[in-house]
Amino acid sequence: MTVGSEVKQCLASLKGVEAELSSLALRTEDNESKRTLHETMMTIHEVVQDLKKRVGELEREEGQYKGF
Amino acid sequence: MPDWIDIAIRAIIFAAVLFLITRLLGKKQISELNFFEYVSGITIGSIGAEISTGLERNIFHGIIAIGIFAVIPFVADFISLKSKRFRDFTEGKPTVFIKDGKIMEDNLKKERYTTDELLELLRKKNVFQVADVEFAVLEATGDLSVLLKKENQPLTAKDLNLTVPSIKEPQTIIMDGKILDEPLATIGRSRAWLHTELEKLGVTLENVFLGQVNSYGELTVDLYDDKLQVASPQERPLILSTLKKCQADLELFALGTESKEAKQMYKLNSQKLQEAIDKVTPILKA
Repeated sequence: MTVGSEVKQCLASLKGVEAELSSLALRTEDNESKRTLHETMMTIHEVVQDLKKRVGELEREEGQYKGF
Repeated sequence: MPDWIDIAIRAIIFAAVLFLITRLLGKKQISELNFFEYVSGITIGSIGAEISTGLERNIFHGIIAIGIFAVIPFVADFISLKSKRFRDFTEGKPTVFIKDGKIMEDNLKKERYTTDELLELLRKKNVFQVADVEFAVLEATGDLSVLLKKENQPLTAKDLNLTVPSIKEPQTIIMDGKILDEPLATIGRSRAWLHTELEKLGVTLENVFLGQVNSYGELTVDLYDDKLQVASPQERPLILSTLKKCQADLELFALGTESKEAKQMYKLNSQKLQEAIDKVTPILKA
Protein backbone atom coordinates (compact mmCIF):
# COMPACT_ATOMS: atom_id res chain seq x y z
CA MET A 1 0.00 0.00 0.00
CA THR A 2 1.26 3.49 -0.78
CA VAL A 3 1.40 6.29 1.76
CA GLY A 4 -1.35 8.02 -0.18
CA SER A 5 -3.80 5.19 0.22
CA GLU A 6 -2.93 4.80 3.90
CA VAL A 7 -3.67 8.44 4.53
CA LYS A 8 -6.88 8.09 2.58
CA GLN A 9 -7.90 5.14 4.71
CA CYS A 10 -7.23 7.09 7.88
CA LEU A 11 -9.22 10.00 6.47
CA ALA A 12 -12.14 7.72 5.71
CA SER A 13 -12.10 6.23 9.22
CA LEU A 14 -12.03 9.70 10.75
CA LYS A 15 -14.96 10.78 8.62
CA GLY A 16 -16.85 7.74 9.84
CA VAL A 17 -16.05 8.58 13.45
CA GLU A 18 -17.15 12.15 12.87
CA ALA A 19 -20.51 11.00 11.57
CA GLU A 20 -21.01 8.47 14.35
CA LEU A 21 -20.12 11.02 17.04
CA SER A 22 -22.57 13.42 15.53
CA SER A 23 -25.38 10.86 15.58
CA LEU A 24 -24.43 9.80 19.12
CA ALA A 25 -24.52 13.44 20.21
CA LEU A 26 -28.01 13.77 18.78
CA ARG A 27 -29.24 10.65 20.56
CA THR A 28 -27.67 11.41 23.94
CA GLU A 29 -30.15 12.71 26.50
CA ASP A 30 -27.67 14.30 28.87
CA ASN A 31 -26.74 17.82 27.85
CA GLU A 32 -23.19 17.84 29.15
CA SER A 33 -22.27 14.58 27.42
CA LYS A 34 -23.98 15.93 24.32
CA ARG A 35 -21.75 19.00 24.36
CA THR A 36 -18.56 16.99 24.91
CA LEU A 37 -19.45 14.71 22.02
CA HIS A 38 -20.19 17.67 19.82
CA GLU A 39 -16.92 19.40 20.68
CA THR A 40 -15.00 16.19 19.94
CA MET A 41 -16.76 16.01 16.62
CA MET A 42 -15.65 19.56 15.78
CA THR A 43 -12.03 18.74 16.64
CA ILE A 44 -12.15 15.69 14.41
CA HIS A 45 -13.64 17.81 11.68
CA GLU A 46 -10.58 20.10 11.80
CA VAL A 47 -8.28 17.09 11.56
CA VAL A 48 -10.30 15.81 8.62
CA GLN A 49 -9.88 19.15 6.83
CA ASP A 50 -6.09 19.06 7.29
CA LEU A 51 -5.88 15.47 6.13
CA LYS A 52 -7.94 16.26 3.05
CA LYS A 53 -5.42 18.95 2.11
CA ARG A 54 -2.60 16.48 2.61
CA VAL A 55 -4.35 13.90 0.45
CA GLY A 56 -4.52 16.53 -2.30
CA GLU A 57 -0.79 17.15 -2.05
CA LEU A 58 -0.03 13.44 -2.08
CA GLU A 59 -2.19 12.95 -5.15
CA ARG A 60 -0.19 15.59 -6.96
CA GLU A 61 3.01 13.80 -5.99
CA GLU A 62 1.88 10.26 -6.82
CA GLY A 63 -0.37 11.02 -9.75
CA GLN A 64 -0.87 7.38 -10.70
CA TYR A 65 -2.87 6.65 -7.48
CA LYS A 66 -5.38 9.42 -7.99
CA GLY A 67 -9.06 9.14 -7.23
CA PHE A 68 -10.89 9.73 -4.00
CA MET B 1 -84.29 -5.76 55.06
CA PRO B 2 -82.39 -8.66 56.66
CA ASP B 3 -79.51 -7.69 58.94
CA TRP B 4 -76.86 -9.31 56.82
CA ILE B 5 -77.68 -7.20 53.77
CA ASP B 6 -77.54 -4.08 55.92
CA ILE B 7 -74.11 -5.10 57.23
CA ALA B 8 -72.87 -5.84 53.73
CA ILE B 9 -74.02 -2.45 52.47
CA ARG B 10 -72.46 -0.67 55.43
CA ALA B 11 -69.20 -2.56 54.98
CA ILE B 12 -69.02 -1.63 51.31
CA ILE B 13 -69.80 2.04 52.03
CA PHE B 14 -67.12 2.19 54.72
CA ALA B 15 -64.56 0.44 52.57
CA ALA B 16 -65.16 3.15 49.98
CA VAL B 17 -65.01 5.96 52.54
CA LEU B 18 -61.83 4.62 54.15
CA PHE B 19 -60.20 4.20 50.74
CA LEU B 20 -61.08 7.77 49.77
CA ILE B 21 -59.80 9.19 53.02
CA THR B 22 -56.48 7.34 52.97
CA ARG B 23 -55.98 8.49 49.40
CA LEU B 24 -56.70 12.09 50.42
CA LEU B 25 -54.25 11.91 53.32
CA GLY B 26 -51.55 10.95 50.86
CA LYS B 27 -48.52 8.74 50.71
CA LYS B 28 -47.16 9.86 54.03
CA GLN B 29 -49.94 8.12 55.89
CA ILE B 30 -48.67 4.72 54.80
CA SER B 31 -44.93 5.14 55.17
CA GLU B 32 -44.19 7.21 58.26
CA LEU B 33 -46.81 8.07 60.80
CA ASN B 34 -46.47 11.03 63.11
CA PHE B 35 -48.50 11.31 66.26
CA PHE B 36 -51.67 12.71 64.73
CA GLU B 37 -51.67 10.32 61.82
CA TYR B 38 -51.10 7.37 64.10
CA VAL B 39 -53.97 8.27 66.40
CA SER B 40 -56.39 9.19 63.64
CA GLY B 41 -55.47 6.07 61.65
CA ILE B 42 -56.37 3.80 64.53
CA THR B 43 -59.54 5.71 65.36
CA ILE B 44 -60.78 5.84 61.79
CA GLY B 45 -60.29 2.09 61.50
CA SER B 46 -62.19 1.31 64.68
CA ILE B 47 -65.04 3.64 63.82
CA GLY B 48 -65.33 1.95 60.44
CA ALA B 49 -65.44 -1.49 62.02
CA GLU B 50 -67.82 -0.42 64.76
CA ILE B 51 -70.38 1.18 62.46
CA SER B 52 -70.34 -1.50 59.80
CA THR B 53 -71.23 -4.27 62.26
CA GLY B 54 -73.22 -2.30 64.87
CA LEU B 55 -76.63 -2.03 63.23
CA GLU B 56 -78.11 0.14 65.97
CA ARG B 57 -75.59 2.92 65.11
CA ASN B 58 -76.37 5.69 62.71
CA ILE B 59 -74.25 5.37 59.59
CA PHE B 60 -73.98 9.12 59.01
CA HIS B 61 -72.68 9.75 62.51
CA GLY B 62 -69.91 7.32 61.70
CA ILE B 63 -69.05 9.06 58.47
CA ILE B 64 -68.98 12.46 60.22
CA ALA B 65 -66.63 11.10 62.90
CA ILE B 66 -64.34 9.60 60.30
CA GLY B 67 -64.34 12.87 58.38
CA ILE B 68 -63.30 14.82 61.46
CA PHE B 69 -60.53 12.38 62.32
CA ALA B 70 -59.32 12.65 58.75
CA VAL B 71 -59.26 16.45 58.95
CA ILE B 72 -57.16 16.55 62.14
CA PRO B 73 -53.90 15.16 60.65
CA PHE B 74 -54.57 17.27 57.57
CA VAL B 75 -54.68 20.44 59.64
CA ALA B 76 -51.71 19.26 61.73
CA ASP B 77 -49.72 18.70 58.54
CA PHE B 78 -50.65 22.15 57.32
CA ILE B 79 -49.53 23.84 60.54
CA SER B 80 -46.31 21.81 60.61
CA LEU B 81 -45.48 23.05 57.14
CA LYS B 82 -45.63 26.61 58.45
CA SER B 83 -44.20 26.31 61.94
CA LYS B 84 -40.94 24.69 62.96
CA ARG B 85 -41.86 24.68 66.63
CA PHE B 86 -45.13 22.88 66.02
CA ARG B 87 -43.25 20.40 63.86
CA ASP B 88 -40.73 19.70 66.57
CA PHE B 89 -43.58 19.19 69.01
CA THR B 90 -45.65 16.81 66.88
CA GLU B 91 -42.99 14.93 64.99
CA GLY B 92 -40.27 14.99 67.60
CA LYS B 93 -36.63 15.92 67.22
CA PRO B 94 -33.80 13.65 66.21
CA THR B 95 -31.43 12.60 68.98
CA VAL B 96 -27.68 12.34 68.50
CA PHE B 97 -26.44 8.91 69.56
CA ILE B 98 -22.84 9.02 68.38
CA LYS B 99 -20.85 12.20 68.03
CA ASP B 100 -17.16 12.55 67.10
CA GLY B 101 -17.01 8.75 67.21
CA LYS B 102 -18.14 8.64 70.84
CA ILE B 103 -21.41 7.18 72.08
CA MET B 104 -23.58 9.69 73.95
CA GLU B 105 -24.72 7.54 76.87
CA ASP B 106 -27.02 10.21 78.29
CA ASN B 107 -28.95 10.51 75.06
CA LEU B 108 -29.30 6.74 74.87
CA LYS B 109 -30.78 6.76 78.33
CA LYS B 110 -33.09 9.64 77.46
CA GLU B 111 -34.54 7.74 74.52
CA ARG B 112 -34.61 4.50 76.55
CA TYR B 113 -32.40 2.61 74.12
CA THR B 114 -30.14 -0.16 75.40
CA THR B 115 -26.64 -0.70 74.04
CA ASP B 116 -27.88 -3.88 72.38
CA GLU B 117 -30.58 -1.97 70.55
CA LEU B 118 -28.06 0.63 69.40
CA LEU B 119 -25.81 -2.15 68.09
CA GLU B 120 -28.78 -3.71 66.34
CA LEU B 121 -29.67 -0.44 64.63
CA LEU B 122 -26.05 -0.02 63.57
CA ARG B 123 -25.92 -3.56 62.20
CA LYS B 124 -29.01 -2.83 60.12
CA LYS B 125 -26.89 -0.13 58.50
CA ASN B 126 -24.14 -2.72 57.92
CA VAL B 127 -21.95 -1.25 60.64
CA PHE B 128 -20.52 -3.90 62.94
CA GLN B 129 -17.90 -1.83 64.70
CA VAL B 130 -18.83 1.32 66.56
CA ALA B 131 -15.32 2.66 66.00
CA ASP B 132 -16.14 3.04 62.28
CA VAL B 133 -18.85 5.59 63.02
CA GLU B 134 -18.22 9.31 63.12
CA PHE B 135 -21.77 10.45 63.74
CA ALA B 136 -25.11 8.72 64.21
CA VAL B 137 -28.50 10.21 64.91
CA LEU B 138 -31.81 8.62 65.85
CA GLU B 139 -34.43 10.16 63.62
CA ALA B 140 -37.90 11.03 64.87
CA THR B 141 -39.22 8.05 62.90
CA GLY B 142 -37.02 5.63 64.86
CA ASP B 143 -34.46 5.05 62.11
CA LEU B 144 -30.79 5.46 62.82
CA SER B 145 -28.86 7.54 60.31
CA VAL B 146 -25.15 6.81 60.27
CA LEU B 147 -22.24 8.85 58.95
CA LEU B 148 -19.16 6.67 58.68
CA LYS B 149 -15.67 8.02 59.19
CA LYS B 150 -14.24 9.19 55.90
CA GLU B 151 -11.82 6.27 55.57
CA ASN B 152 -14.68 3.81 55.98
CA GLN B 153 -16.93 5.39 53.42
CA PRO B 154 -17.23 3.76 50.02
CA LEU B 155 -14.77 5.04 47.44
CA THR B 156 -16.29 7.49 45.00
CA ALA B 157 -15.23 8.75 41.60
CA LYS B 158 -14.46 12.09 43.23
CA ASP B 159 -12.01 10.48 45.67
CA LEU B 160 -10.15 8.97 42.72
CA ASN B 161 -10.25 12.17 40.68
CA LEU B 162 -12.04 10.25 37.96
CA THR B 163 -14.06 12.08 35.38
CA VAL B 164 -17.33 10.29 34.84
CA PRO B 165 -19.95 11.36 32.33
CA SER B 166 -23.23 12.53 33.77
CA ILE B 167 -26.16 10.44 32.66
CA LYS B 168 -29.91 10.64 32.50
CA GLU B 169 -32.30 8.02 33.79
CA PRO B 170 -32.95 5.08 31.45
CA GLN B 171 -36.46 4.63 30.10
CA THR B 172 -38.34 1.36 30.07
CA ILE B 173 -40.00 1.07 26.69
CA ILE B 174 -40.92 -2.62 26.42
CA MET B 175 -42.66 -4.55 29.15
CA ASP B 176 -43.97 -8.12 28.83
CA GLY B 177 -43.63 -8.01 25.05
CA LYS B 178 -45.62 -4.79 24.70
CA ILE B 179 -44.39 -1.36 23.65
CA LEU B 180 -44.94 1.45 26.14
CA ASP B 181 -45.69 4.51 24.04
CA GLU B 182 -45.39 7.19 26.70
CA PRO B 183 -41.73 6.68 27.69
CA LEU B 184 -40.95 6.13 24.03
CA ALA B 185 -42.32 9.58 23.30
CA THR B 186 -40.38 11.04 26.26
CA ILE B 187 -37.08 10.12 24.63
CA GLY B 188 -38.39 11.24 21.26
CA ARG B 189 -38.38 7.88 19.48
CA SER B 190 -40.96 6.23 17.31
CA ARG B 191 -42.22 2.68 17.11
CA ALA B 192 -40.51 2.38 13.74
CA TRP B 193 -37.17 3.18 15.36
CA LEU B 194 -37.79 0.53 18.00
CA HIS B 195 -38.63 -2.09 15.41
CA THR B 196 -35.41 -1.30 13.55
CA GLU B 197 -33.38 -1.60 16.76
CA LEU B 198 -35.03 -4.92 17.60
CA GLU B 199 -34.28 -6.16 14.12
CA LYS B 200 -30.64 -5.15 14.55
CA LEU B 201 -30.52 -7.25 17.71
CA GLY B 202 -32.26 -10.07 15.87
CA VAL B 203 -35.15 -10.51 18.30
CA THR B 204 -38.91 -10.26 17.95
CA LEU B 205 -41.02 -7.95 20.07
CA GLU B 206 -43.03 -10.86 21.52
CA ASN B 207 -39.89 -12.45 22.89
CA VAL B 208 -38.79 -9.35 24.80
CA PHE B 209 -39.66 -9.41 28.51
CA LEU B 210 -38.13 -6.03 29.28
CA GLY B 211 -36.50 -3.41 27.08
CA GLN B 212 -34.76 -0.24 28.25
CA VAL B 213 -33.05 2.65 26.53
CA ASN B 214 -30.11 4.27 28.28
CA SER B 215 -28.87 7.83 28.28
CA TYR B 216 -27.04 7.28 24.96
CA GLY B 217 -30.10 5.97 23.14
CA GLU B 218 -28.87 2.36 23.23
CA LEU B 219 -31.47 -0.38 23.56
CA THR B 220 -30.85 -3.26 25.97
CA VAL B 221 -33.31 -6.13 26.24
CA ASP B 222 -34.08 -9.09 28.46
CA LEU B 223 -35.70 -12.00 26.66
CA TYR B 224 -38.23 -14.58 27.81
CA ASP B 225 -35.93 -17.22 26.41
CA ASP B 226 -32.89 -17.02 28.67
CA LYS B 227 -30.89 -19.40 26.51
CA LEU B 228 -30.64 -16.83 23.73
CA GLN B 229 -27.64 -14.53 23.81
CA VAL B 230 -28.23 -10.88 22.97
CA ALA B 231 -25.44 -8.65 21.75
CA SER B 232 -24.62 -5.72 24.00
CA PRO B 233 -24.33 -2.32 22.32
CA GLN B 234 -20.86 -2.00 20.74
CA GLU B 235 -21.10 1.33 19.00
CA ARG B 236 -19.37 3.54 21.55
CA PRO B 237 -16.35 1.29 22.23
CA LEU B 238 -16.01 0.90 18.47
CA ILE B 239 -15.84 4.67 17.95
CA LEU B 240 -13.20 4.92 20.65
CA SER B 241 -11.03 2.19 19.17
CA THR B 242 -11.29 3.71 15.68
CA LEU B 243 -10.28 7.09 17.11
CA LYS B 244 -7.27 5.53 18.82
CA LYS B 245 -6.26 3.76 15.64
CA CYS B 246 -6.45 6.98 13.62
CA GLN B 247 -4.38 8.79 16.22
CA ALA B 248 -1.70 6.09 16.02
CA ASP B 249 -1.81 6.27 12.20
CA LEU B 250 -1.21 10.01 12.27
CA GLU B 251 1.83 9.51 14.49
CA LEU B 252 3.14 6.92 12.04
CA PHE B 253 2.62 9.30 9.11
CA ALA B 254 4.48 12.00 11.03
CA LEU B 255 7.44 9.66 11.43
CA GLY B 256 7.28 8.43 7.87
CA THR B 257 7.04 11.62 5.89
CA GLU B 258 10.05 13.48 4.49
CA SER B 259 8.32 16.81 4.10
CA LYS B 260 8.85 19.08 7.08
CA GLU B 261 5.53 20.84 6.67
CA ALA B 262 3.58 17.59 6.52
CA LYS B 263 5.43 16.26 9.56
CA GLN B 264 4.40 19.35 11.49
CA MET B 265 0.79 19.01 10.37
CA TYR B 266 0.58 15.31 11.27
CA LYS B 267 2.12 15.95 14.67
CA LEU B 268 -0.26 18.77 15.46
CA ASN B 269 -3.29 16.77 14.40
CA SER B 270 -2.25 13.66 16.28
CA GLN B 271 -1.95 15.82 19.39
CA LYS B 272 -5.38 17.27 18.72
CA LEU B 273 -6.84 13.80 18.36
CA GLN B 274 -5.13 12.65 21.56
CA GLU B 275 -6.72 15.53 23.45
CA ALA B 276 -10.11 14.72 21.94
CA ILE B 277 -9.69 11.06 22.92
CA ASP B 278 -8.81 11.98 26.50
CA LYS B 279 -11.86 14.19 26.71
CA VAL B 280 -14.34 11.75 25.25
CA THR B 281 -13.05 8.49 26.74
CA PRO B 282 -15.27 8.60 29.87
CA ILE B 283 -18.32 8.77 27.63
CA LEU B 284 -17.26 6.20 25.05
CA LYS B 285 -15.88 3.65 27.49
CA ALA B 286 -18.58 1.04 27.87
